[in-house]
Amino acid sequence: MIDQLREHLLAPRYIGWLLDGWLATLWASLLVAAGATVLGVVIAAGRSSSRPALLRLTGAYVSLFRNTPLLVQLFFWYFGAPSVLPEAAREWLYAGHLLSFEFLSALVGLTLYAAAYVGEDIRSGIRGVPVGQTLAASALGFTRVQVLAQVVLPQALRIALPPLLGQYMNIVKNTSLAMAVGLVELSYASRQVEAETFKTFQAFGLATALYIVSIGAIEVLAAWAARRQAFSPGRAA
Amino acid sequence: MGGAAAGVLAGARRMTVIETLWDSLPYLLWGAFPEGQLGGAALTLLLSAGSGIASAVLGLAWGIGLATATGALRTALTLVLGFFRAIPVLMLIFWTYFLLPFALGVSVPGVLSVMCALSLVGGAYLAHAVHAGIRGIGAGQWAAGLSLGLTRWGTLRHVVLPQALRMMLPSFINQWVTLVKDSSLAYIVGVSELSFVASQVNARTMIYPAEIFMLVGAIYWLLCTGLDRLANGLAQRAQRGNWQHKSFSRKGHGRFA
Repeated sequence: MIDQLREHLLAPRYIGWLLDGWLATLWASLLVAAGATVLGVVIAAGRSSSRPALLRLTGAYVSLFRNTPLLVQLFFWYFGAPSVLPEAAREWLYAGHLLSFEFLSALVGLTLYAAAYVGEDIRSGIRGVPVGQTLAASALGFTRVQVLAQVVLPQALRIALPPLLGQYMNIVKNTSLAMAVGLVELSYASRQVEAETFKTFQAFGLATALYIVSIGAIEVLAAWAARRQAFSPGRAA
Repeated sequence: MGGAAAGVLAGARRMTVIETLWDSLPYLLWGAFPEGQLGGAALTLLLSAGSGIASAVLGLAWGIGLATATGALRTALTLVLGFFRAIPVLMLIFWTYFLLPFALGVSVPGVLSVMCALSLVGGAYLAHAVHAGIRGIGAGQWAAGLSLGLTRWGTLRHVVLPQALRMMLPSFINQWVTLVKDSSLAYIVGVSELSFVASQVNARTMIYPAEIFMLVGAIYWLLCTGLDRLANGLAQRAQRGNWQHKSFSRKGHGRFA
């Protein structure tokens, strides 16, 4: 009976592959989320500025990165970008001193893509901060950068938190595309296990469950943040 | 394509970027078409149009379901939609690619299994937009429809949905743009849409990878922004027509006042 059951289950070795892939997915998601948030703030600041050149530049960035598929962008960073670099730099990158080249190009591609979405969400957060806040801070003698960093952004990020958490979920899901440039993350591992064992249901099932757990964790975090925000003092207005 | 490969092999005269890209352009746009199978950007468009229609139908049905169902049915529907939204599209493509032939007992072409996966995901996202749109229509509209003697279904069909759909139009347009981009995932199961033929061209020419993927990105960008502009233009025209209609009836009100 137990032997029969064991026959249908994945061997511990393959479960280990999937868990390793899951860790890679989580690790990549974390780095991408952090990078995209920082870059997103810069883009949002550019999109909210009054200088036409900055406005046009960040506008073009957002349009370019949101209106082309992530897969093509990843191919560009993986196959294309190294070809325009000088020979020495390319060799250094391929040697993978810092990170494997697959991981590096996936990180760059995913971060730049996600930043275009995160930036737009932060921008709508900035728009949600009343103008009076900016005026008051300026009247108190804050410089423009100080106004943004110390008065507007903390409030804007708070307003933008729910959509931002949605973007972080998208980041977790989008890391699956990195398998196309050879990053061994959860989707890659599930395909590998499937090819090795022919246990399609088990391999994809476990991978699917792990994705759901990851997304569910962010969902729980979002619910907790929403509840905290609802009860925090001074937010009623 | 043969020209590009021959140029590289000859080596005597390196092909310029423009020549290489120009030679590959027909293959990128419609694959091997008249002689062979349709592929490239044409297949991308076909794939996204097919899943666009299917996801609109699914989204409408599920959205109405969410708005009208109660109890266990509603919970089940919410769970299913949550499932489709929680897993990566890529993972769902794996599932449909392996399960559809298994479930139907016949071999299913890759295009169809990708279309199926994209429709399910797109439908799940649209369902929530439709649900929100239906809920956004005030209770007064329901009451008015019912008091005119319409059934619940009739009220939904003739009173609530026409208004809700107008509000949801932007969601549908956004979903189509997303579908054009997501159709690139068909690459992973070897469907010869634009991303797949791009990687073929890249592997075959071996030079100018950056330029090739930039060209492909530009084609996608044109498709997405073009679709967005077109759809928004049509939507605005529909809205304007609607506004004129409204102002006409307002004039009517004036006459009776």
